[in-house]
Amino acid sequence: MRVLTSKKAMCGVGTSNDADARLAAETATDEALRPLDGSTPDLVLVYASVRYDLPTLLKTVAAATGSAVVAGATSSGQLHHGRLTEPGSGVAVLALAGGGYRFGLGHATGLQADATQAGRALARAALDAMGPVRSPHEAVLIFSDGLAGDQQELLNGIHKVTGFQVPVIGGAAADDRQLAETFVFAGDRVLKDAAVAVWIGSERPLRVVGKHGWRATSLPLMLSGVDGQIVKELGGRPALEVYQENFRPLDPTAKKLYQKAGGYHSEHAFGLIQPDGSLLIRGAFIDGDGKLRTFSPMPPYSAVQVVSCDAEDLLEVGEQTVEAVVQGDEPAVVLVFDCVARLDILGQRGHEEARRLQEAAGDAPTFGYYTYGEFARTTGVAGYHNATIAAMAL
Amino acid sequence: MTTYGESPAARLDADAEALRAALTRAEGAAAAAYRDTARLIRLLTVIGTPSTPGRLIDRTLTVLSEVFAADVVCIAEAIDDRLFVTASCGLPEDDPAFTTGWALGPTARRVITSGSAAALHGVPTDDRPPPLHEAENASAAWIPLSGVGSEFAGDLLVLYRSGGDLFTPADLQVLLSMAYRMYSAVEARERGAAIERLAQAGPGLARHLDVGSLLNDAVVLLRELTGTDSAWILTVRDELAEMAAAADVGEDTNRRWPTPAADLPGWARLSAGEPYVGPGRDDDPLLLVPVMRDDGVIAVLAAKGRRARSFGKSVVEVAVVLASYLSAAISNSELYRRLKAREQELHRRASRDPLTGLANRMTAAQRIDEALAESPTGAAGLLFFDLDKFKAVNDRLGHEAGDELIQQVAQRLRKVVRPGDMLARFGGDEFVLLISGASDLTDLTDMGRRIQVALSDEFPLRGERVEVTASIGAVLGRRGTASASAMLRDADAAMYAAKARGTGRLEVFDDEASHRSIDRLDLRSDLSEALDRGQLSVVYQPMVELKTNTIRSFEALARWRHPERGNVPPDEFIPLAEETGAIVPIGAWVLDQACRQLATWQREFPEAHLTMGVNISAVQLERGHGDLLDVIRAAGVDPGDIWLEVTEHMDTSEDISAQVSALRAAGVHFALDDFGMSYSSLSYLQRYPVEGLKIDRAFVAAMNDAGNGGRGIVQAIMAVADSLSMMAFAEGIETQAQLDALLDLGCGFGQGHLISPPLSVERSTEALRAQRVPGTSG
Repeated sequence: MRVLTSKKAMCGVGTSNDADARLAAETATDEALRPLDGSTPDLVLVYASVRYDLPTLLKTVAAATGSAVVAGATSSGQLHHGRLTEPGSGVAVLALAGGGYRFGLGHATGLQADATQAGRALARAALDAMGPVRSPHEAVLIFSDGLAGDQQELLNGIHKVTGFQVPVIGGAAADDRQLAETFVFAGDRVLKDAAVAVWIGSERPLRVVGKHGWRATSLPLMLSGVDGQIVKELGGRPALEVYQENFRPLDPTAKKLYQKAGGYHSEHAFGLIQPDGSLLIRGAFIDGDGKLRTFSPMPPYSAVQVVSCDAEDLLEVGEQTVEAVVQGDEPAVVLVFDCVARLDILGQRGHEEARRLQEAAGDAPTFGYYTYGEFARTTGVAGYHNATIAAMAL
Repeated sequence: MTTYGESPAARLDADAEALRAALTRAEGAAAAAYRDTARLIRLLTVIGTPSTPGRLIDRTLTVLSEVFAADVVCIAEAIDDRLFVTASCGLPEDDPAFTTGWALGPTARRVITSGSAAALHGVPTDDRPPPLHEAENASAAWIPLSGVGSEFAGDLLVLYRSGGDLFTPADLQVLLSMAYRMYSAVEARERGAAIERLAQAGPGLARHLDVGSLLNDAVVLLRELTGTDSAWILTVRDELAEMAAAADVGEDTNRRWPTPAADLPGWARLSAGEPYVGPGRDDDPLLLVPVMRDDGVIAVLAAKGRRARSFGKSVVEVAVVLASYLSAAISNSELYRRLKAREQELHRRASRDPLTGLANRMTAAQRIDEALAESPTGAAGLLFFDLDKFKAVNDRLGHEAGDELIQQVAQRLRKVVRPGDMLARFGGDEFVLLISGASDLTDLTDMGRRIQVALSDEFPLRGERVEVTASIGAVLGRRGTASASAMLRDADAAMYAAKARGTGRLEVFDDEASHRSIDRLDLRSDLSEALDRGQLSVVYQPMVELKTNTIRSFEALARWRHPERGNVPPDEFIPLAEETGAIVPIGAWVLDQACRQLATWQREFPEAHLTMGVNISAVQLERGHGDLLDVIRAAGVDPGDIWLEVTEHMDTSEDISAQVSALRAAGVHFALDDFGMSYSSLSYLQRYPVEGLKIDRAFVAAMNDAGNGGRGIVQAIMAVADSLSMMAFAEGIETQAQLDALLDLGCGFGQGHLISPPLSVERSTEALRAQRVPGTSG
């Protein structure tokens, strides 16, 4: 547990594209520490491409940041201070000191086997690390192995410890779109099939906001056949057929920044109809066997709609999200978790997004990465999203 | 739904806008319909999915939180004016709601009393629990979980939205229906899980063969199955209930056990075999289930509810099933215990001597073999001993006294025995001591001496003080060559060798003893056939009137001519015959021969008034060994002409007085052989109708020794005989000096080599003929 003494938080962000893990980590960490004026950081977040020798990278960062709580994940690109680091390279480091924050770090493994149990253990570990004293405002920041287990179940487990009053923010780790292996970081440890949590105690309210900007392209449908991540039936008919029927017409002018992996079709997704009529986005793709898959299982017999989006909506919703967390305050940093699907759709305008998010954040630097899933739990237990942008200011 | 691509013509804009609005409304309605349907199906799916009761509740609450966008969903139990949360989605696990509860708000109270659901928007402060104190716009729904007065009365499902929409009447309908289904499912699954657990654990209970551990396991199972903190099991015996096992959180510590069973709550129901559910001593609900056997309560299962909530039907059912399992298991374990005890007793009896509790022959043999196998020195020592004067004690003081003496002896011997040694009784007065780890003969003789010392103090017995000595045979057996049976045989042989040398001796088995031992065994078996094979004969030693040197009588003496060994001395084969019981037929044959010979001589030499002396063994006088009088009469002699010579060592466990009296009544005379050699001589004279004393050859031989002691003894014996009106006969007269001395003392009759050795029938007849002619006798 780290307790900060300074009232005003100090924050630095550093990045590097160096191919060598040690050099990249040193460069990014040095840069992140510089604005701290020699203060020891209390929280250090690390987002890195999977191409790096991750253990070396994390050891280097941890060695340079002393007793700070170090957490993070592998990414599919990073955004920081208005700039975009494209998927496939780069490391970004945030160092934060002061501001009266308290941090407790925990981690848990075994997501595949029992995500609920792992979530509960994860939150307990982080809460334990905070010590017995509770802060007036709290939030939990999590990073999870984005390819392991049921992410909403992970959240269900965390929810048992946090209760409804502590919001959850975070992202699933990514791997530069390879969909092969993702990792999370706890201290200098690099973990797989695991999740990391930082329990944050604060003197001022911590606002978590998640928005997506997607719109329905189909009428409501009943998810009548689902087997884990494979969607088999929609409204009693073959799922793929129904899914494709509801695609919106292609925009021939749109240009993609990256070649899509497999059958991933980022312009369309599912929206889980929520009690208040809102939609919880679930990314979907068609795999090599022609099966319609989601990244995380959807509950059987859910009411869903096929959804799509356009770039302008996505950019706008990003700005709204950051504005909502800043809300006239002068935070030290705005943490952003942005879905890689959004970057796909934005194409070349991804750089524009990074810039516009920073503009919305004002003086506070933005710091985030492109994820395989976003956590933003504020109301009820549901809080795992796809194709969404989530943010929280510190 | 938003349309993409080119817009239609401007004039159609207004129409399109209207259509779009209608479409959005339709879509919204459809979404709502789908959402409502979907949430019903999702809830039903969760409730129908196989899982544990706990997981079922957990999943259902999570899905309720999701589909109703509720910040807090919980199941709570109203107890007095508190609402305790038992499960939730949305409360942190350390929330005090789980332990100390919330104040029961007015709406929750109304819902419980009325049994109808309620929903509020802008929930008033007193209906808001602490986590929602600041949420002034909160909405909430309270759903009773079961009918008023039923098992779960007081249980609620409560949903809160901190700032959300009102729960609609339609929502309440869904929630009511779901709550009912969830609770039915939970109850069914709890029961199923408990039955399953019981089915798994039940056979496990029966494996306990000890009631204590059985109840210890059962009480843990009971606590688990009843879902309580406190469970215990009482045993009921003689109308007293006793705490036998507890799985307990500091329960009833002040209670004193045992307590009268009738004081237990609901005892009337329990003794009728029915479970009792009701308030316990401190008003907490108590479940008591009797464990029955033969229409009686043998134990009571007890569980105490944690709070003021009664035990459900399924819990009671499961506890009843457990009780019946337990009844069978207790019976099993008791049967087993009795069986085991009997086995142990049988084994003890088979391996122990019942009188002394020492090892018996069988156990001893086993242990000797074990000792040989395990001995660090590769050797084991064995002492075989008996008590020298035991039979005399038995005869004089009776069997019970004899048994008592054996017990006393065993008690003293136990103190001699070192750990690892083994003392055994082989029956009668025979004992065996196994000395494990003995390395040489010194170890054996040392131990032998310790035994002698242990027995040296007199034993108090029936008001007397009895002296006991032991004759000890010792043997050292070595691994590889010795065996239990060989060692026992050799030690036995050594003991006989010791006995032959006198009382209280110790003889170590060695090669010489080994030969004697083997000889003895051979002789034993040969002797059993000697009579049938005609190897036995009778010789006659004349007994003369000393003054006149006239033959007045003969003593019939058995002789055994062994085909290989030649003549076997009588002092060697007679004890063997006595040991083996061969003395009975041999004795009868000798008596028959002697009587017939006497009859022959009496016919030929009527003037000599001959009598016949025949040695008789105690065994022959015991019942069941034929009537000696018949033998005498069958030979055609007057019983009054027969002297049966008995020895002072005539110890017998049987009462022989009947036969002795009958013989005496018929006129048969008794003489005591070897008189003076045993301390009990005088008591013999009182017990048996003895009319003659034969002065032992040892005293006769000592008559002319310096100091004149021998002469004095002979004189004393003759005085005893005279005072009891008995005849005195001198044995073993070998020299003229002895003859002169006897004549000098006035001794009337005698025998010995000086007068005549034992003679064959022919030589005896010649001797009789010779004395017919005056002056020719020697």
